[in-house]
Amino acid sequence: MDASLLTIQPNAPEPIYRQIVEQLRRLIASGQLLAGELLPSVRDVAGFHAINPMTVSRAYGMAEAEGLLERMRGKGMVVAATRKPIQSESQRLALLEAQLQELARHVNELELPADPVLRRLAKLLGD
Amino acid sequence: MNAVLQEVTNTLDAPLVARQLVHGYEGQNVLDGVDLGLTPGSVLGLIGRNGAGKSTLIRAMLGLLEPLSGSAFVFGEPALKLSDSAKSRIAYVPQQPEALAWLTAAQMLDFVGRFYPRWDAPFAKTMLERWKIQPNKLLAKLSPGERQRVDLIRALASQPQLLVLVLDEPAAALDPVARRELLRELALRAGESGTTVLFSTHIVSDLERVASEVAFLHNGKLLLRCGVDDTKERYGRLWIPAKMTAAAPAQSLSKRRNEDGSLSLIVERDAQGHWPEAATLPGARIDALGLEDLFVEIAE
Repeated sequence: MDASLLTIQPNAPEPIYRQIVEQLRRLIASGQLLAGELLPSVRDVAGFHAINPMTVSRAYGMAEAEGLLERMRGKGMVVAATRKPIQSESQRLALLEAQLQELARHVNELELPADPVLRRLAKLLGD
Repeated sequence: MNAVLQEVTNTLDAPLVARQLVHGYEGQNVLDGVDLGLTPGSVLGLIGRNGAGKSTLIRAMLGLLEPLSGSAFVFGEPALKLSDSAKSRIAYVPQQPEALAWLTAAQMLDFVGRFYPRWDAPFAKTMLERWKIQPNKLLAKLSPGERQRVDLIRALASQPQLLVLVLDEPAAALDPVARRELLRELALRAGESGTTVLFSTHIVSDLERVASEVAFLHNGKLLLRCGVDDTKERYGRLWIPAKMTAAAPAQSLSKRRNEDGSLSLIVERDAQGHWPEAATLPGARIDALGLEDLFVEIAE
């Protein structure tokens, strides 16, 4: 994996370390990162994105604690061997939960009924 | 407004410590009792509006001005009486470098380099090229932005253990590419060589990249001092509709009444990570905030 695969938005309300973990989760779930694949070093990620290396270490540490990554002696971090692309629909759907809740909140704020929103969403998904 | 102060770390191992600094000009207080300590390897971003006292604080912390009261320490030594060895470990880049203007950039770097035991001459040469500075032009003839770039090169090439930067006018100083390069240098040096960085700027998104902590200075007081990630997770904006404002929490970092009678408050999670109860009022809403929004809200 290359450090450029990550997108960092420093001014987003979400802390950078969470942005990294979230993206690792998605990349692994979607199979873009495969079990055993080597992650870029903390230095590479920090250097490429001009971010504090401690932030990257923190993200890797959290991903390791979650079982997404494993530390390989002398090599660095790799995608955990037990990680397979998530096949089950419900598990993949769960990764969208935050975004769906956010969307629902906006819909409620705009006092829109569900139907037109769902129709529009269906159209977007159909394309 | 609540002043959230962190305990000042032990002066012996701390690169930089301020204790109850008070300073003022013409009877007006610019610093109003500031306590601030930096731990080794940390990158502290100092945020504040123009006139908030950032430059005065930095100058007092480095012993470049004598405060009316309070004290400052650099590597455990009183800032006003620094030894040469302490000085050789510090690099300071002011907003408007003025020293040695009668030399060319190359001459100045060559001259200054002799005072620093760990001077990295090849780095200085490379950076002059990379940042497009004509080495044989007199410093006095460079634009303010170019002057500051030369000074940044001087600071980085001395491989300091404590680096203090004031980058308040980015448009003049660094284009986006050079800026990114500078941030990369700062981030990697803090991470690998344990360089401690104090960084003052208006550009909050720069801080969000590289800073491990931020301190908000407002009207001479430190409003908030917190880890960058922690700040984003701990504070939020609570919006309460007009008819519910009687139930607004008593405690908040700032409170603003909007034109429609609704309230916007900056609130903090409690020790269990819960927002104040008012967040569950019908129609109430919590928004996560970036640092810039947070600063604007509490500095009003």
